[in-house]
Amino acid sequence: MVFPLLRQMLENGLLKDSHWISLSPTGPRKVLASGITLNHIQLEKERVKGYGRAKEKMWKTLHGIQKEDWLSDSLFWQDEFVDYTYYNRLCSELATQLDKENDFDLFYIHDFQQLPFAHMLNVIKPKIFRWHIPFDESLIPDLWKQSLSSYFNAYDVVIVSCQKYLESLKRFGYKGKASYIYPYIEDGIYKRPSRSEVEEFNHKFGIKEDARVVLVLARLDPMKGQDRAIKGFAKVTKSFPDTKLVVAGDGSFSSSKAGIGLSKAEIWLSKLRELAKKLGVENQVIFTGHLTHKELQAAYERCELTILPSVLEGFGLVVVESWLYKKPAIVSSMAGVAELVKEEENGLLFNPNNPDDLANKLSAVLANQSLASSLGGNGFKTSRQCFLGRGMKAEAKVMQDLVG
Amino acid sequence: MARWQAGVELVELILYDAINKIVVFAVIVAATAIVAKVLSLLIRGAFKTWVPAVRTNVQRVVSISIWVGGLIFAIEQLGLRTDLFLLILGLLGVATLLAIKDTLENIGAKYFSDVYVPFKVGDIIRVGNSAGKVIEINPITTVLLTDDKRLVSVPNTAFVREKVVNMTPRIWKEILVPIAINGTIDLPEFESEVLKACHKMRRYLDARFPPVLTVKGRGKRYVNLVLTLMVKDSSKKNEIISNVNQKISEIEDKMMRGRKSRK
Repeated sequence: MVFPLLRQMLENGLLKDSHWISLSPTGPRKVLASGITLNHIQLEKERVKGYGRAKEKMWKTLHGIQKEDWLSDSLFWQDEFVDYTYYNRLCSELATQLDKENDFDLFYIHDFQQLPFAHMLNVIKPKIFRWHIPFDESLIPDLWKQSLSSYFNAYDVVIVSCQKYLESLKRFGYKGKASYIYPYIEDGIYKRPSRSEVEEFNHKFGIKEDARVVLVLARLDPMKGQDRAIKGFAKVTKSFPDTKLVVAGDGSFSSSKAGIGLSKAEIWLSKLRELAKKLGVENQVIFTGHLTHKELQAAYERCELTILPSVLEGFGLVVVESWLYKKPAIVSSMAGVAELVKEEENGLLFNPNNPDDLANKLSAVLANQSLASSLGGNGFKTSRQCFLGRGMKAEAKVMQDLVG
Repeated sequence: MARWQAGVELVELILYDAINKIVVFAVIVAATAIVAKVLSLLIRGAFKTWVPAVRTNVQRVVSISIWVGGLIFAIEQLGLRTDLFLLILGLLGVATLLAIKDTLENIGAKYFSDVYVPFKVGDIIRVGNSAGKVIEINPITTVLLTDDKRLVSVPNTAFVREKVVNMTPRIWKEILVPIAINGTIDLPEFESEVLKACHKMRRYLDARFPPVLTVKGRGKRYVNLVLTLMVKDSSKKNEIISNVNQKISEIEDKMMRGRKSRK
């Protein structure tokens, strides 16, 4: 999301120059791409592991899936948090050095794992923080509250992904300026695939031409709730026997061998296969793994509807992608994007903890072509709220308000 | 011929004398450097439990004093008179000291209040008849914002002479350790070591407030930091401060030695 934003801002003359700092254990130290200087932080293997574990614990806790235990509650006192701090300090030191060379106007910090950055950066310049995972103050352990509060309050502005998170952030005690901007997609890159590309997709994943397709597109992670989709889907297969559930996506950088090396995605995939077998739908659930951009376009074109089954989701841009192809979306009420869904107007909401609820909504769309068409059409209109151009204007306004 | 011979001998004598003086000068300068370094290391070793920033400053003062003494002695060996120069320097110094006596008192008080008086920007304090939120601490005064939004400037000497009450909630828990590390030390690595050392003391610290190292400023040679800790029990405060100071000193020494051995 940040890279297209920066590129677009540079193209529109809203930025003169930009420097990006990110973790890349194997990449070169500096790369120039589309006018953006990418500065890579390299960490030793052990530090990467510690940082990854701390980040994972924070992520799980902030998504409400970490069991309440002493080990996670006392995270800030553990050696892996030292590695997490080490990485953030490397970033802030590099930012200090780059600021001396370039005299930046502001710092834009993206993602929860960089939260301590502003607190560490001893530079009196505006700092914006973009928090793009869910924010629910009730999930924050007591032992974390003081640290998180100091980290947040070191920023001049905090941007979250929807109004619900903004209200929660204020209840948590953030005193600075805060706003919400819906995440955005680079709408121009989504093209209508050719007939042959769709046929190729069918062939590659063994989908018959007359089969009906329900698509779930998400990273392979328990939080993404693919199990909820399978459970709900299993309840409608008798009524719609020619329907296939296509589960697309693979692991994240954190779960890749090249990245932090956690095997979360593989474990989750085997659990999902077991679940499909247990529910007797193993022949109707297709796991595609990673899709190329062309395959992704074909998947949207080929499906009749999409499901976003997340247990908790910062936003859920796949719903916006689905709307771009005028496909109806059935959306977890626990996703940030649910704020944009008007029931039976541009989508349907369901409780991810209730498979019957999903099954009812699935049946409703699969059985009623005119409802599907109307949801897809109205969704297409809603998708404009999450286009890069609109997001860029909102982000630029926040920046201009700070730097004048 | 005899005159020519005498002239050559005189030049040789002058040259010999000059070279001799320059060698003595160089030896004294080298000896001064060695003594300054050795004393600096002795101070570091002997005062490990001192506040790190104070120890660093004492090292600096001792080092500068030795250099001044050594250089004056070395200059005298060159045959140059330093007594008149020293007299003028001394008189100028006294005159300057008298002229800026009040300012110096405030700067001195600021230095000691930085290290020993437990308040910082953001705290709510009372000193003498003034009370408010500390919004600025400069070398001369401390500026308070009162409840009725007035600014009160309190000379820093007041913090040494008057009773200071810090009314900030939980302030009794707080330990602020000023640290000045050599700019060549790897800060992220130093921070990691300090945090690990503090984590080992966690049973004495308030679990809600993990240790935090903050960069306060960067000079040409030093980075000024502050380590913030929150104790569980105020009776352990001095013990923890002493322990933390010693740990920091050991970490700094270890990292300086590591840096030299890598060189």
